[in-house]
Amino acid sequence: MSAMLDGDHKALVPMDSVAPARRSALQRMLLVGAAAFIGLSLIRFLTGANDLTSGGTVNTAILSAVPIALAGLAGLWSERSGVVNIGLEGMLVLGTWGAGFAGYQWGPWAALLAGGLCGSVGGALHALATVTFGVDQVVSGVAINLLAPGAALYLNKLMSDRYQNVSGSGGGDKQSPRMDAIQQLSIPGAEGPLKDLQNKQWFLLSDIAGVLRGVFVGTSILVVVTVLMFVATWFILWRTAFGLRLRSCGEAPYAAESLGVNVYRYKYIAVMASGFIAGIGGGALAVIAGLYKDGQTGGRGYIGLAAMIFGNWRPGGLATGAGLFGYTDALKSRQPDSVKALLLILGILLVLVGGWRLFRYYKQPAGFRIGGVGTVIGHWLTLAIGLAAAIGYFFTDAIPTELVSATPYVATLIVLVLATKSFRMPKADGQVYRRGAH
Amino acid sequence: MFLNIGKRKRSTALFAGVAAAALVLSACGGSSSGGSGGGGSGDSKIVVGLAYDIGGRGDQSFNDSAAAGLDKAEKEFGFTAKEAEATDGETDDAKAERLRQLADEGANPIIAVGFAYAGPLKTVSAEYPKVHFAIVDSTDVTAGNISNLVFAENEGSFLVGVIAGLKTKTNNVGFVGGVQTPLIEKFQAGYVAGVKASNPAAKVQVAYISQPPDFSGFGDEINGQKVAKGQFDNGADVVFQAAGGSGGGVFKAAKAANGFAIGVDSDQYNTADSAVRDVIISSMLKRVDTAVYDFLSKENDGHFAAGTTTYDLKSEGVGYSTTGGKVDDIKTKVEDYKKQIIDGKITVPTAP
Repeated sequence: MSAMLDGDHKALVPMDSVAPARRSALQRMLLVGAAAFIGLSLIRFLTGANDLTSGGTVNTAILSAVPIALAGLAGLWSERSGVVNIGLEGMLVLGTWGAGFAGYQWGPWAALLAGGLCGSVGGALHALATVTFGVDQVVSGVAINLLAPGAALYLNKLMSDRYQNVSGSGGGDKQSPRMDAIQQLSIPGAEGPLKDLQNKQWFLLSDIAGVLRGVFVGTSILVVVTVLMFVATWFILWRTAFGLRLRSCGEAPYAAESLGVNVYRYKYIAVMASGFIAGIGGGALAVIAGLYKDGQTGGRGYIGLAAMIFGNWRPGGLATGAGLFGYTDALKSRQPDSVKALLLILGILLVLVGGWRLFRYYKQPAGFRIGGVGTVIGHWLTLAIGLAAAIGYFFTDAIPTELVSATPYVATLIVLVLATKSFRMPKADGQVYRRGAH
Repeated sequence: MFLNIGKRKRSTALFAGVAAAALVLSACGGSSSGGSGGGGSGDSKIVVGLAYDIGGRGDQSFNDSAAAGLDKAEKEFGFTAKEAEATDGETDDAKAERLRQLADEGANPIIAVGFAYAGPLKTVSAEYPKVHFAIVDSTDVTAGNISNLVFAENEGSFLVGVIAGLKTKTNNVGFVGGVQTPLIEKFQAGYVAGVKASNPAAKVQVAYISQPPDFSGFGDEINGQKVAKGQFDNGADVVFQAAGGSGGGVFKAAKAANGFAIGVDSDQYNTADSAVRDVIISSMLKRVDTAVYDFLSKENDGHFAAGTTTYDLKSEGVGYSTTGGKVDDIKTKVEDYKKQIIDGKITVPTAP
């Protein structure tokens, strides 16, 4: 009961009254982030795996995170209004096709827009099925995921004669002609000094230089667009009356209805916005690759969904989740040596977490300890695996390449397991709403 | 027709269950793969079946090279061609079904492009003993009605390795493989040997985009670019890619880093995106088109040779390209190595 009250409270009371709690959470996050960065820097310094914080890695990581972050953001819009969106992957696919179709004719910006429009067609379909007809949201989402790749490929085949006439572009049955690259931004004069500093390989200073270089030199404008969309989403959903009503549809639709909110309309807007953003995510993927290609999304929609859950249905957490995945993805693509350094980081992290939990457990007098035998074994296991990983680092020459390619998934899993905060999804998420049913 | 399409395309079958409208879509979508064969001239009795690897026509590389050989033979000998494409992540059963379907439609001979067909071909060749089969890139399957067309990729890769070793200014070069299979390791082995022969001080960075059974590395430009960018950031100035459809990403990374790249299979100075052509100093040529054409030309004369035919430097089945003129200054040295390999003075390793 108290949980429900809590949920309603968060949804319907203006944000000012909960601001103090959130500020401390923000401070804690910054603190954890800073500690993690210093730890990373130390490991980089000790192991000589200089790619861990190099500008190239950071740059690649951010760009890799863009489609995932947009997919997650799309999921956020939909689920905040109470509609589970498994169909993100399909909407991403529609976005890639739209972008491929528009991109070679009118450039990358048109590609993003066309991607968004195609994605919102998927969103509209999902909204029609789930909101109007009350179809199970997971079933509708899965149907879209199955339908979208076939539809995109079919549309592409329709275009293939036209595509093949664009000379030297490589367009055909399964891919679109190439489009121009999108602009990159750099802060003038930053590259030289930052690169020098990074190459000095000093503790912390070089790492900061590397990160700054990755963020401010040769940054794709897609990154800027994504950041702006995150800020806009946060503002619209958490700082406007419209956003409050939209979220109230995801928390307590019947309460919202009793206050005069047209829940159907808000759900439609949210799910179509979700499709639009996912489509832009797909468009970004096509713009990065320079063309639409069958099977291009590679499950990024699902990963975006996972990032959203990891981020506890909030933009900041979602961005962190996407960034983490992008980072490990960039590392494994670049230098297998750096992945080996991750093993050490993982080991130290697990030892710290396991040790800290055991310390808290045994600090209490025997009768007052919280948690059963299973919990204690879990803590010891965490510690033991951490030790094994750390020791393993010193006794392996190289990580098997098969394992390296699994790094992003394994890292995401482990962080998900270690993140002990309790997740709270929107209360009415996934439930079918019928007007006047309560 | 509907049933056949359902079997051929798994995704189609799934999505047909979702909405009736999808059936109409897929029927239209499927017809184009068989359509090219429909209009062939009627005077020849020979129907050639060709099953592509992932990527199919339009990959600007491996499959397109096979398609070029087929097109040439089709024109010259008046064959009728039936083509079918593989999809990413399909099972061996789907590949076997594709071969059976070609055979049932009356195709003889049938050419399977890519080592992935080895397993399925073993089954299907026994079921159709009178059909002549050819498989590109594999000697894993042998039978009285199978001709194995393979290449000495290591020899061609050695020569582009020599080019990389001579062209590097940082003494640091890269190799990006699509998927870490024995076949692509053959490219790697030859390339590394070539670099070491021409420039013993040079460092070679080796990376693969994906690991089997994940074959996405042959069609993933985004990751191709990431991997190559990592190598350029780490000091490389020449990168050789043996990554099929992912190669475009490698060229883009080279362009962004002001470095050089070496293409694969086709002369990619001619086939790659015009925006990145100037970074391609050479390509390791693998004449799949020659192999396919030769096989069909023999077939036209009524000859069929079961067993392995190797296309190497000597028979000009592999080589390097000079289009663009970026290697003209070192051509005599490369030719010298080429001669030594042909004469047997240098033996190029086939595994790293």
